[in-house]
Order: sequence, then C-alpha cells, then structure tokens
Amino acid sequence: MNSFLKNNRPLISFFLIPVVFLWHPNWLGILGIQPYWPLFWLLPWSMIYGSMNGLIAGLFLGLILDALTLSNNFTQIPGLILCGIWFGKVKKSDNYWVGHFRYGLIGAIGSFLCGLLYFLQIFIYDFLNNNFFVIYPSIKVILAQVFLTAIFAPLFCSYLLKSFKIQKNKNTMKIF
Amino acid sequence: MLVIRRIFFSRWRQKKRKGILLVILLFFVFVRLSKGSLYKDFYYFISKPFWPGQFQKEILINSADQELLVKLNQLEKDNKRFREILSLQKVADSETISAAVISRKNGSWWRQIILNKGSKDGVEVGSAVVGPGGLLGRVSSTSFLTSSVMLLTSPESQVGVWIDRLQVNGLMVGLGDDYPKLIFYTKDVDIKIGDFVLSSPASTLLPPNIPVGIVQNINKDNSQKYANVLLLGRPQAIDWVQILKVKI
Repeated sequence: MNSFLKNNRPLISFFLIPVVFLWHPNWLGILGIQPYWPLFWLLPWSMIYGSMNGLIAGLFLGLILDALTLSNNFTQIPGLILCGIWFGKVKKSDNYWVGHFRYGLIGAIGSFLCGLLYFLQIFIYDFLNNNFFVIYPSIKVILAQVFLTAIFAPLFCSYLLKSFKIQKNKNTMKIF
Repeated sequence: MLVIRRIFFSRWRQKKRKGILLVILLFFVFVRLSKGSLYKDFYYFISKPFWPGQFQKEILINSADQELLVKLNQLEKDNKRFREILSLQKVADSETISAAVISRKNGSWWRQIILNKGSKDGVEVGSAVVGPGGLLGRVSSTSFLTSSVMLLTSPESQVGVWIDRLQVNGLMVGLGDDYPKLIFYTKDVDIKIGDFVLSSPASTLLPPNIPVGIVQNINKDNSQKYANVLLLGRPQAIDWVQILKVKI
C-alpha cells in the first residue's frame, strides 16, 4: 500500500483535487471564496511534462470539475486547457526564492485567466437573458481567487513539483 | 534485427499509449455525463466522519423564529380566505427527508450544496430543499448516495415567487451574490421594504407558500420594477435541511 502511494503520487494528488474542490474548506478562504485548486496540480505537472501533457491534464481536470458543479451552461475547460499549455512553456528557476515567487505569480495570472474566461461565459449568458447584475460579485470572486491562489501556490506547487520530479526520475531509471 | 525489434516495440508502445489515453478520455467523459455521481458517492464515504453534528447556532434559531412568524402570518391569511370562499387552492401532501450538508459552495462561481441523501433514499431531481428560515434551492442532480442542490443565489437559479401582502407574482433570479433579484412583470407594483416573499402558488416548480425572504431594497428602471431579497434560509450556516418530496 505504502509503495503504491509512493509510486503514484501524481495520480493520487490528481484525484484529490476534486475532493478538495468539493470539501471547500471555509477556513482557507476569504468571503466564502476558495483558491483555484486545480492550478496547484496543473502548474507543476505541466512544468515537468510539457504543454501537450498540460493540455490533456487541463481537459481531464475540466471535465471532472465540470461534473461536480451544477452549471450546465458554463465550463472550466477552456481556462484549464490554456493554463496547461502556458504552464508547459514556463521554465523552472534555479533560485529558491525566485522559484517560489514565480509559482505565486504564475498561479495568480492563471487563476485570473480561468476566472475571466468563466466570467465571460456568465456575462454572455446573462447578456442574452437581459441580466446585467452579476458584474460586481464576479469581480469579487476573481480578485479573491487570484489573491488566494497567489498565496498558496508557492506552498503546494513547490511540494508537488518536487514530488512529480522524483516520480519522473524513478520512471526514467526504470526505462533504462 | 535488434533495431527492427526496438522500432516495433516503440510503435507498439505508442499505439498502446494512445489507446490508454482514449480510455482515460472516455472515462472522464463518462464522469462528466454522469454529473460526477461516482465522485460524489466516493466523497460521501470519505467525508462521513466529518458530517455536521446535531447542534445549530443562534443564527439558525433566529432564522427559525422568522420562518415561524412568516408561516403563522400566512396561515392566518389562508384561514380567512377559507372562511370567505370555502375553496382554497389545494396544497399537495408533502413528505420530507432530513439530510445533512456534506459539501458547501456558497461564495464562489458555484452556489450549491451537496446532501448525504440520494436516489437510494428517494430524493428526486426538482425537489425543493428548505432549511431553518425557508427555501434554499432545488435538487439539480442526484447520485445513488448524494444529491446536489442549486441554491437560490446561483446565477442559473430562477424561481417563481410572490409577495403575500399584495399577492403579486414575480421571478426571483440568482445573481451570484447573497441577494437574489426579484423581477416583477408589471411596473406599478406597490412593494415595500420588509415585504415577505414566498414561493408562488402559480409556480410549477415549487410547492406554494414556502417562506423565501424579505424585500431589502427596491429599484426601478424604464421597463420593469425589481427588488433585492434578503433570504431567510442561510446556506452558509445551515448543516441540516429538509427535502420536500412534493407532487404539485
């Protein structure tokens, strides 16, 4: 069991993302808003395995998270796919502090992008239904999400990056 | 020979990889189409030790008092009408299912709660969900063990309500914040701040006269009059709810 957990860290952490998404721990949030959890996994994964794998992981994460929310008209897939592609092109920094700062910054921009794409869908939907009052709450959600993602990204991303790197090295060793 | 074998194996591995990827994609599409029912059932088991206890806070007691007040008010009016016309609109018999809130999203894009009762317990899509205070939302999807409720504050929520003082119908639309918007079909409605909002007897989605909220402020534009509603049921604090199995 222990070796299974050790050898499948990326997979296990992947399946933990929707659980945390559902759990929605209020003590980790502001105004009932949470950090954008899927980015904490997607960022290190894409940085190690590249844009193509980031795209696929973004698609899978989007599908699973869309399934857990009740929105039939809106989807998280475009934001996560774009982030997956972009994160794959980001290079790792050798400097410890710069590296951590960059996770926060990239996470914040990624969260903003995902939030913006989601908001645009709601905005268009509401525009078609003559309802223009969602702008203020949406801005609040985006800003809080960006802030929280930026704060927690260095913590989660650096841990996951290290763990994925170890896993990748192990797999490469097995091939040779 | 060795090189040919290597190429053969590498191609076979590539094909195998594509196959696995396709299977995984199909699995996730299945998860998406089944509305994450597998995941929600899995979450049911792992969240079981953390389900809320029986104790409610003061805020809920206040909400329950307000609910009783609104109900009493409504019953008195109904009683009067009974005496006057001897044929009140028939309210269908309802059966309730108590459920605990095991997941709550009430601050972000998604305004929903997940309950620990699902199709196994007879919960049906479309059932109304009430908590201490009043109406919270409607069941949007069910899995075997859980059910997901779209809250009234969700941007996709639209329910028919009425102001009981004036007996005027309106449409309550979620805005993604804590104060849904109540739109009236006519401009010259004499609503006042503090009016009680109840589910409409004309609604085909909800049982009639469930307390919903109180009018908080009133606005007017060229084409219509609308109000913001302070909800009586507060999903951020409620741990236990009732699912109404109603035949309307």
